[in-house]
Amino acid sequence: MTTLPIDNTFDDPAQRAPLVLNHHDFGTVTEKICSVNEARRAPRAWYVAFVISLGFLGIFGAMIMYLFATGVGVWGNQNPVMWGFPIINFVFWVGIGHAGTLISAILFLFRQRWRTGINRFAEAMTIFAVICAGTFPGIHIGRVWVFYWMFPIPNQMEMWPQFRSPLVWDVFAIGTYFTVSLLFWYTGMVPDLATFRDRARTKIQAIIYGILALGWRGSVRHWHRYERAYLLLAALATPLVLSVHSVVSFDFAVAQLPGWHTTIFPPYFVAGAIFSGFAMVMTLAIPARQLWGLKDFITLRHLENMTKIILVTGSMVGYAYSMEFFIAWYSGSMYESFAMLNRAFGQYAWAYWIMVTCNVLVPQVFWFRAARQSIPIMFTACLLVNLGMWFERFVIVVTSLAQDYLPSSWAYFTPTWVDLLTLAGSFGLFMTLFLLFCRYLPIIAIAEIKHTMPEALPHGHGAAHRQEPTA
Amino acid sequence: MPSIAGGNLRGKAYWRSLDELADTPEFREFMHREFPAGATDLLDSGERRQFLRIMGASLALAGLSMASCRRWPRETIAPFAHRPDGRTPGMPTYYATSMELAGVAAGLLVTSFDGRPTKIEGNPEHPMNRGATDAWSQASVLELYDPDRSRHHMHRTDGRRHKTGADEFIAWAAKHFEGVSNSRGSGLAILAEASDSPSMLNMRERLLKRFGRATWYEYEPINRDNELAGTGDAFGAPWRPQYAFDRAKVIVSLDADFLMTDPAMVRNTRDFAAGRRVTPETADSMSRLYVFESGYSLTGANADVRFGVRSADVAAIAAHLAARLVPDADARADGAPGDAASPETLGIDQETLDTIVEDLEAHRGEGLVVAGPGQPAEVHVLAHLINDALGNAGHTVSYTAVPDAQPNVAAITDLVEAMKAGTVSTLVILGGDPVYNAPVDLDFRGQLDSGRVTSIHLGIYDNETSRHCTWHVPRAHYLESWGDARSWDGSWSVVQPLIEPLLGGRSAIELLALISGDEVTAGYDIVRRTMSESARRTDFETLWRRTLHDGFLVGSAFTLQTPTARRGAAATAVEGIRQQWSPASDGSFELVFVPDTKIFDGRYVNNGWLQELPDPLTKLTWDNAVLMGIDAAGRLGVSTGDLVRISHQGREVTAAVLVMPGQHPGSVTLSLGYGQSLGSVSEGAGFNFYLLRAVGGMGFAAGASIEPVGGHYELAVTQDHHAVDSVGGKGTQQRLPSIYREATVEEYRKNPGFANDHHHTGAHVAHRLSLWDESNLDGAQYAWAMSIDLNACTGCGACVVACQAENNIPIVGKDQVKRGREMHWIRIDRYFKGHDPAVPEAAVMQPVPCMMCENAPCEEVCPVAATTHDQDGLNVMIYNRCVGTRYCSNNCPYKVRRFNYFDYIKRRPVRESGLLHVQLDYYTRPQSDTNPLRRLQFNPEVTVRSRGVMEKCTYCVQRISAAKIAAKNRWVKLSAQDKARDTRVTVADDSFTSACAQACPAQAIVFGDKNDAASRVTAAFKNERTYEMLEELNTKPRTRYQARLRNPAPAPAGSGSSPHAVQHG
Repeated sequence: MTTLPIDNTFDDPAQRAPLVLNHHDFGTVTEKICSVNEARRAPRAWYVAFVISLGFLGIFGAMIMYLFATGVGVWGNQNPVMWGFPIINFVFWVGIGHAGTLISAILFLFRQRWRTGINRFAEAMTIFAVICAGTFPGIHIGRVWVFYWMFPIPNQMEMWPQFRSPLVWDVFAIGTYFTVSLLFWYTGMVPDLATFRDRARTKIQAIIYGILALGWRGSVRHWHRYERAYLLLAALATPLVLSVHSVVSFDFAVAQLPGWHTTIFPPYFVAGAIFSGFAMVMTLAIPARQLWGLKDFITLRHLENMTKIILVTGSMVGYAYSMEFFIAWYSGSMYESFAMLNRAFGQYAWAYWIMVTCNVLVPQVFWFRAARQSIPIMFTACLLVNLGMWFERFVIVVTSLAQDYLPSSWAYFTPTWVDLLTLAGSFGLFMTLFLLFCRYLPIIAIAEIKHTMPEALPHGHGAAHRQEPTA
Repeated sequence: MPSIAGGNLRGKAYWRSLDELADTPEFREFMHREFPAGATDLLDSGERRQFLRIMGASLALAGLSMASCRRWPRETIAPFAHRPDGRTPGMPTYYATSMELAGVAAGLLVTSFDGRPTKIEGNPEHPMNRGATDAWSQASVLELYDPDRSRHHMHRTDGRRHKTGADEFIAWAAKHFEGVSNSRGSGLAILAEASDSPSMLNMRERLLKRFGRATWYEYEPINRDNELAGTGDAFGAPWRPQYAFDRAKVIVSLDADFLMTDPAMVRNTRDFAAGRRVTPETADSMSRLYVFESGYSLTGANADVRFGVRSADVAAIAAHLAARLVPDADARADGAPGDAASPETLGIDQETLDTIVEDLEAHRGEGLVVAGPGQPAEVHVLAHLINDALGNAGHTVSYTAVPDAQPNVAAITDLVEAMKAGTVSTLVILGGDPVYNAPVDLDFRGQLDSGRVTSIHLGIYDNETSRHCTWHVPRAHYLESWGDARSWDGSWSVVQPLIEPLLGGRSAIELLALISGDEVTAGYDIVRRTMSESARRTDFETLWRRTLHDGFLVGSAFTLQTPTARRGAAATAVEGIRQQWSPASDGSFELVFVPDTKIFDGRYVNNGWLQELPDPLTKLTWDNAVLMGIDAAGRLGVSTGDLVRISHQGREVTAAVLVMPGQHPGSVTLSLGYGQSLGSVSEGAGFNFYLLRAVGGMGFAAGASIEPVGGHYELAVTQDHHAVDSVGGKGTQQRLPSIYREATVEEYRKNPGFANDHHHTGAHVAHRLSLWDESNLDGAQYAWAMSIDLNACTGCGACVVACQAENNIPIVGKDQVKRGREMHWIRIDRYFKGHDPAVPEAAVMQPVPCMMCENAPCEEVCPVAATTHDQDGLNVMIYNRCVGTRYCSNNCPYKVRRFNYFDYIKRRPVRESGLLHVQLDYYTRPQSDTNPLRRLQFNPEVTVRSRGVMEKCTYCVQRISAAKIAAKNRWVKLSAQDKARDTRVTVADDSFTSACAQACPAQAIVFGDKNDAASRVTAAFKNERTYEMLEELNTKPRTRYQARLRNPAPAPAGSGSSPHAVQHG
């Protein structure tokens, strides 16, 4: 087989661009993707990355142990900035965890066939990001040993959570999102796990993958049920894409703090979450496709599509930023106007302008085709967007709290070393999980990607007018 | 250790065996393990028994032995076989006592739970206190339980100090003073703290009877020497002025901080506030306060017109005023003290001077000029003579005799001279810390160390003086010892102990009895003897009991008199000022020494409550600093926290700068008392400015140079400074009129409802819309509410400490204050108004407790319903339920909620944070591991909060409950008819109040039931000045404010401009 690369970034509407390059057939697709997991030794880079990630995970654990043994005072949280890094990190990670469901569910329903190249590890990324996100509200409360009081657990005192609190809504929103995302991810993986089972070379592999594959045999009946379930889950997950970050934004919007109390927050947060989620998908996809030679499946066209989404959502976020200013002025409230003015020109102006630069200005390079097709540019831009989105949460949480109504309480928030190491440590947790996933689970949906190949279509040449077989 | 369970547990044998058990080697070893620092103290002969007796917890100690392996100690409850007379377990008892501070007594009423004094209030009967207190009295109860207090007699032999027992000291003293007595006391000198205590004077007489050649000296670093000298010059003999600020309509303060660091502060504050209480009809009668001072004092913050001038120029200003107001003050027509000191050189203008003179003249008999203790005697002379000339004497100021007028600085100078001459061989120092705080040029320490003097120091702490004395004798706290004292008005007040000396120790009069070989040795007997000798009444026992009950001898205040002024005194004073005055020289600074608003002269430096009490103006905690004006700091290129070296007459101190608005550019204010270590709380705190204070410059000293030395020192301020030109500064100035509402008297008369006039305040109109169903409180029996009169509040901070004592509020330490984690439930917000930070138009004070919103934003967001409304409409915190999400605090617009970031109640307060200051609270310390001594102070009615929970002001819910229970008990006992008539149980308005309201000397805080039409709070809320802070948020706060009134100076005749507009920095 020849391995000449074919450019699939053309814009010819008369011709459907191939999503799998290099004349792969079904067999070679399986072969190629399975080779990531079946290699006796992972690439050296994987080991290096894994050791580093484990190190950070250790730091994460150590910081949490220290926190539990001492108290939340080890962080920089103070009066009036009662929420600091933990909540910033929580919102940041939840945002990251957004792209997965969007790619899995919404793009699926909209018949965006290119999603199949990236959906598996975007979903995996979602799961791991939500795990990271979920850690923070858990450890950030003052008395961690009674964290379960936040859940509606029947008890003899009939003490229930206070359902007016957005934090309780959060518990439900994140819980639902995590559950559905996990199910969706796992359901989609079942045929591929069966492939792994069939190709297993050791007994242990065969048993583990065998259990995970749930007895999948690839019969037509199995396929029929699978497609139904997948479609239903996609329909279930779609509202969650909008709901979860809307609910997270309620944590702020429902409070009456100037800078938090705005109705624009739900759509603004959702757009921001998709924005940061795609940036993180690209941050992970670009090295992964390089490392395991998956450029045939995660093609430049995939990446270009994602940069377009980043451009759109980044502009939406920029619109939200400017709209906040408008509303603050339009409200006539001196507290609101001050909150905005203070963000841009007050003591945290540096954070605000990092945010604006990274989130609004940087994505504008994607108006240019050259930038959309340049790996270094898009990789740098995505890293900056990740940084910018972290700062967006910092700006929202910290600047609003630091200077609210009564100037006597105003203060300047400074993180401690524990804050910084916990944030770094959470990346350790995320990367450890992600690297394990890359090593032991199919990182590209083998079964699904075959649906996008010309061979899957009845006429064998990818006719644009044909009904898609997968949907 | 031998098991208790294995022994005989029955009858007396058990109690005996515990004592035996305590002395076993195993038990000793265990105690060493458990209390490494204080182990031996507990087991020292005598003290161990005492400790056990006082704790009343011998069994708890045995229980502690099993605590090492679990977090909760086993505690055994041992009930009394026979209940002690008059004691109901769990019910507090109250005793009247008094506290002497720098020779002046405060009348107090102390709450005691099961024999432990826990809370201090003002004695409602006492003429000076009338139920109110200052922060120092409030905090003194913590001093009692300070584990760093001196516990041992210390003896220095061969240059080394070692602990001895009390018996050794007594034996030594008997022998030594026998020898001194043989020489009729020659070589014996006593250096005492200032005291007007009748028993002290009595003991002094007795001592001087035995030791005829002995000399007695008195020294206080914060003394009234200038006042005594001034009255002496003005009237021929020293007098003590008694001001009546309630009667004064025009008050001129010449550098006098009569609202804060004054011995009559409580009375002054109450009277001053009374003079400000007006209605629109009586608005003209509100007093007007002019203040001349170099740095902002609390009095300056309460001024209607404040002039920032050099302290050295105050005398020249006094001379200008006197020249116009006292007939024979100056022969010269212009009245200028020297050619240079025109008003303009002094930083004021002629018009201003005219205004004040005219104002004083227009209010003859209703004016009052007060001179500050730091000002030279001449200023005092002129102040008294102006009052005399204007007919104010006898109306707004009267005079009483001074029982013991010894000039302090002269006394200690004489003592040092005598020591130098070698005529002192035995020196008894009764309290104080002269090595630390004597004028630095005297080198008191050098004389002590010379080896020629056998010195005995009695002190509550093992302080610097103790370390240089031959003997140190631990002193009993005033709550542990009998004594008496005189308050500022002369009332003979009794010091009544509430507890046996916790750590041993004796009082000053007991030590004097020991030294003079008195047959009466117990403090109780000494005080009784003094009073009975003085009273000479047959029914002395009745009088004594009555006095103990009242806390003071009724009618013992000195008679108010109006002495005649000496002719020519004014001219002499003006001439003296003329000679002393010199213009400010460029680049040099004037050093102004003031008592610290937190730790006074340094005696409270180890008191955590006071250390953490923010200074009213600077909001600085845990340190003092060089307070420097904005211009001066700009000139030197330093900002807050930068280190500077102050050099004055060859002496140098390096200290941190705090840039302070309103500070005169040629003057720096240095508060005294820091830079000494008396224990863990005071270690490393602040800078010792006594090292710059010399004879002749006790109040202020000119000609110091200041230069930056590089380096930075973190200062923990609770309210940050925002430069006024920054976004934050502008935002602050924009919202201040809405948050802190005020108007001039004139505006008030025209528009009495200005506080709720949005044109006046700039506040938004509240829409009164709610997202949720508002809590329905209609049927509630009580509606607790609080009213804070900003027109009365001076901002002294007594409420903050009172709240801390009442509600078991922990101190957090400098490191945590820097992080903004102070725990005070009530704070006092201080704002500077105006757009020029160097010369603010005003400083304003606003106490902020919980607003107890009816629509509480905190409640809506708590995920576990840990904060809710109770049936009385209180916004209550359920500590047990709180998981610590801190969302409530984020949503509180008033930011009154406080979070336990650590187990503050157990934690050592640390000054610095960082990797090396890790304190693993949770696993390393058992639940009970607070200091056992410190724990005794806790109010048993209030939960001690653990780590991770939110807390806030409760309106003293424990007091509300107690009052409700009492009211209900009364109601239940009513007859059936009465019950039918009074179907509702009502709590009488005067039956209780919150801790802050009770302490407030200005009576600015009124607490009560809003549903009770006759309550004071209902009346207060009807006042047209009442407003709700941030009303536009529709929180419906139960705490409301009454707007402040200002009485700016009248425009001088023939001029359109008011001096209000031409203040100087």
